[in-house]
Amino acid sequence: MSEIEFEIDGKLVTANPGDSIISIADREGIDVPRFCYHKKLSVAANCRMCLVDIEGSPKAQPACSTPVANGMKIHTRNDKAKSAQKAVMEFLLINHPLDCPICDQGGECELQDVAMEYGTDVSKFNLGKRIVADKGIGALIQTDMTRCIHCTRCVRFGAEVAGIVEMGGTGRGEDVKIEPFLTEGIQSELSGNMIDVCPVGALTSKPFRYEARTWQMSAVETIARHDLVGSNIYTQTYRGKVKRVVARDNELVNETWISDRDRFSYEGLNHESRALHPKIKKNNKWQEASWEAALDFAVNGLKKNAQNANQLGVLASKNSTLEEYYLMQKLARSFGSENIDYRLDKADLSIRNKMLSSITLAEMESVDHALIVNSYLRLEQPMINHRIRKATLNGASVNTINNKKFDFNYRTDLEVLCSPQKTLLMLQSILKSLHNKTKTTAPKNLSKIKIDDSQNKIADDLIAAEKPVIILGEHVNSNISSSDITDVISEIAALANAKIANLSLSGNSLSAEKVGFKPSIKGQNAASMLSENTKAFLLMDIDLNYDFINSKLATDTFNKDDVFVVSLNSFEDEAALINLDVLLPMAGLYESSGTHINFDGVAQSFSASVKGPGDSKPGWKIIKVLADLLELKGFDYTDSSQVADDALSIAVSEDNEPIEKNIKDSDDSQIAIHWQYSPYAIDGVTRRAKALQETQIGKMNDAFISVATAKELQLTEGDLYHGVPVSINETIAEGCVFVHTYQSRKG
Amino acid sequence: MISDQAKKEIDFWITKYPEGRQSSAVMQALTIVQNENGGSLTGDLMREIADHLQMPAISVQEVATFYENYNHKPVAKHTIRFCHNISCMLNGSDDLISYLEKKLQVKTGEISKDGLVSVKKVECLGACVGGPMCQIGDQYYEHLTPSKLDNILDDLK
Ligand code: SF4
Ligand code: FES
Ligand code: FES
Repeated sequence: MSEIEFEIDGKLVTANPGDSIISIADREGIDVPRFCYHKKLSVAANCRMCLVDIEGSPKAQPACSTPVANGMKIHTRNDKAKSAQKAVMEFLLINHPLDCPICDQGGECELQDVAMEYGTDVSKFNLGKRIVADKGIGALIQTDMTRCIHCTRCVRFGAEVAGIVEMGGTGRGEDVKIEPFLTEGIQSELSGNMIDVCPVGALTSKPFRYEARTWQMSAVETIARHDLVGSNIYTQTYRGKVKRVVARDNELVNETWISDRDRFSYEGLNHESRALHPKIKKNNKWQEASWEAALDFAVNGLKKNAQNANQLGVLASKNSTLEEYYLMQKLARSFGSENIDYRLDKADLSIRNKMLSSITLAEMESVDHALIVNSYLRLEQPMINHRIRKATLNGASVNTINNKKFDFNYRTDLEVLCSPQKTLLMLQSILKSLHNKTKTTAPKNLSKIKIDDSQNKIADDLIAAEKPVIILGEHVNSNISSSDITDVISEIAALANAKIANLSLSGNSLSAEKVGFKPSIKGQNAASMLSENTKAFLLMDIDLNYDFINSKLATDTFNKDDVFVVSLNSFEDEAALINLDVLLPMAGLYESSGTHINFDGVAQSFSASVKGPGDSKPGWKIIKVLADLLELKGFDYTDSSQVADDALSIAVSEDNEPIEKNIKDSDDSQIAIHWQYSPYAIDGVTRRAKALQETQIGKMNDAFISVATAKELQLTEGDLYHGVPVSINETIAEGCVFVHTYQSRKG
Repeated sequence: MISDQAKKEIDFWITKYPEGRQSSAVMQALTIVQNENGGSLTGDLMREIADHLQMPAISVQEVATFYENYNHKPVAKHTIRFCHNISCMLNGSDDLISYLEKKLQVKTGEISKDGLVSVKKVECLGACVGGPMCQIGDQYYEHLTPSKLDNILDDLK
C-alpha cells in the first residue's frame, strides 16, 4: 500500500490509506479524547468526543471515523477543535449523574479524566436529569445505567468479540437504555471485558463493589493460570488482599481480553476454607502444629512408610507452578522414587506418542478451517476459542466431532455426534478417507473400516483448506484409548497438512510436561500408585473429591491405616481431614512467585502479588525445606527464579516411557462417562469463587443422556446420576453420559 | 405462542428480502404477532420472533421499543393515539389530551377502568394539516375539539 503524508498538530507523518485519524494520533502519542472508539471494536462514531479540526473543512470532524488523506492538515488542540470538544463534553454531562465520589470507576474513569480537561466547573443545565432503573444483569457485572453515556462499546463487544449479542440499546431518543434482553442476565464467558471497555462507571465489577478506591490499590503484573493461554493480567491489591483482576495487553497472548474465569477467580482466595496453619493427625486426632513440628512429623512419617524408596508416590494437580513441579519431581527422584504423576483425570496413561501442538496462539486466528475433536472449546479455552471465532469471521469453516452438541459462538458446518467408544473408529474412517483421496496406501489395520458421507466431508474439508488446524480437547482425557486417538490425529494431520492444537492439556500442565512430572519406566503412574504398594504420598494442590478420575479409589487408598499422606494445599476440606495425615498450608494463586508455560511454549514468570494468609508458605519453599529435612542434596535455592532457571534448562530424557497401565472409570459398564467440570469448577480456587458460581455457566448441572441410553440405564428426566440431574435429549451421542457440572465426581 | 398461521404470514415477508436477510422482516413480524396477541407484545413473543428470524432477542427488543406502534403492556379495546408533535401542539393538542385524561379518568399510557379506552401520545402521524388530530384503529380524526371528542367517545363501544 502506498503511504500517504499529512500533518497532525504541525507534525508531518505518514500512514496507510484507510487509517483513521485517531489511530495515527494514538501512534504519535497525541491525545484525542474519545469514548466510543476502541481499538479492537468497530467504529461507531456516536459520542462525538473526538472532534478535531481539519483545515478546509467547515466543521470539526470525528477523528475516529475520518480516514487520513494526503496533504491533510489536522489540528487536535486549536481553538476550533477545543471548543467543539468542550461543547460535546457539556452535552455528555447533561444527563450524567456526576456521582464520582460513590462511583467505583472514580479515579479510572475516562469521562472523569476528559471532563477534568474539557469540562467546565459550573453546569448551565438546570433541568431534571434522566434516571435509569437498574434491573441487574447477573453476578459479575454491577450496572449503574444512569451513568451510561451510550457509547455502545459494550454492545459492540458482545456482537463483535464475545459473539453473543447480549446488550442492546432499547427505546428511543432520551429514553434510550443500554440493557440485555428483558430480565436475562449476561451469559458470555468473556462478559467481564465489558467492564474494561465501559468508559464510565455504568458497568463495574460486582464482586469488587465498594471494596477499595482505585488509587488506594497497587497493581502487580502477573499471569492467570487457569488455562493454556496464561493471559496477562494485573492483580490490584489493597491491604494484602487481591481486590480485583484486570486485563493487561499482550497482543500475542490475550490481546486486550481475559476470560471471566481469569478475572473473577481471585475471589476464591478469601474463602473460609483456606488452610491457615499446619495440621497433623496424631492418634487419629487433628491438631494444629508449628511448621517445625509439622514438617518433622511429615518427614518421619514419609521415611517410616517409604522405607523402600519406591513406596513413595508424588502427585500434583494441573495448576502448580513450574517451580513447584520441578522441585517436587526432584525431591521424589532424589529420594529414589519414580512414582510421579499429575495426570489424575486421565484414563489412558500410556504415552507412546506425545502429541505436540504445532501452531501458535496468534496463528489460530488465520486458519481457514478447524476440525474440533472432543472439545467444548468456548468454555474450556475461551481465549483460544476467541481466536478461532476471529478466523471464522474471516471465512474459516469449522467441523466438530463431539460426544455432545455444544453451543459455539460461531457457525459450525458439520457437527458429528460420536460417543467416546466410537471416536477412534470415527477418526480412523477419516484417516482412511484421506488415504483414498490423496491416493496413498492406507495401513492394513484400516482395511475393514467403512467410510460414510460425513467422514468423507470432514476429509474433503481438511484437504481443501490451505491452513487447517485440528484441535483436540479435554474430553479425550476420560477416553480409554486416548493415545490411539492422538496417534490417528497425528496421521490425519500429516496427510492433510494440518496443524495440531493439543488442548487436552490444560492449566499449567505444559510446565509439568516440561520438567517430566511423570513416571519413568521404573516408576508407577497415578493409577498404579493408587492401586498398588505405595505407602507414603506427597500431594500438591489436590482436591480429593474432584481431581481424580476415580476419586473413590483415591480416597480409599489414602484412608488406609498403613498409608501416610502429606498434602500441600491452600484449602482444607472435609475429604482432606478424613483421608490425610499432614496438611501443610500453601500460598495460593497470586500469593507465590512462579512460572506458567503457555500454549506457545512461552514461560511467563510472575512474582507474588500478596502474601498468603495465616502461616501459609509458597509451595516451592515448603518442598525445598521438606527436601532438606529428608537430607536430600541439591536444594540450596534462595529464590524461586533460581528454581525456574534449573527447571527450564533440564532436558527430560526421551526414554521416560512409562509402563502401560490403564485405569477405567469406576463404572465398569458399556456406557462411557465423561465428567466435565463447569469452567468455574476446574480448580480449587475457581470453585470457591462465589460470584462465578452464581452465573449460568457456574450453575451448569446436567447429566446428558440420549433417549436410548437412558432407557438402557433405566433413568428418566430429573433422576440423579451420581448426584447430577439427568437431562435426556438428542444432543448427545448414544452410549455415553456427558456430565457437565460444578459437582464433584465423588457424588 | 405464535400461531402457525402467523408464522406463515411472517414467512411470506421473509421472501421479500434477499437470502440470509430474514431478520429484515422483523417489523412485519412484530406487527403480525402483536395483532394476533390482541394488540401488545410480550417477552416470550419477542423471543419467539427472534428464534424464528434467527436473530438475537435483544435486537428484536431494540426495534420493538424504538417504534411507537408496538405495545409492551396489554392495551385497551381502543387506543386513542394522540399526536403531540409541533403542528398539533400549536393547535392545542396538550389541552385536548388533558381533557381526555380528565374525562376518561386515565393518565396517558393507562387503560380506563372499564378496559375500553387508553390514551397514548404519539409522534407526527403525517396529518399536520388537520391538527390537532388522533388515530383510533385505522381511522384518523382531525380538527379535534372537546365536543368532537365527546362524540367520538360516545361511539366507542
Ligand atoms: S454501559 Fe458503558 S460501555 Fe455500555 S454503552 Fe453505556 S457507557 Fe458505553
Ligand atoms: S470516539 Fe469518535 S465519535 Fe466517539
Ligand atoms: S404534528 Fe400532529 S400529525 Fe403532524
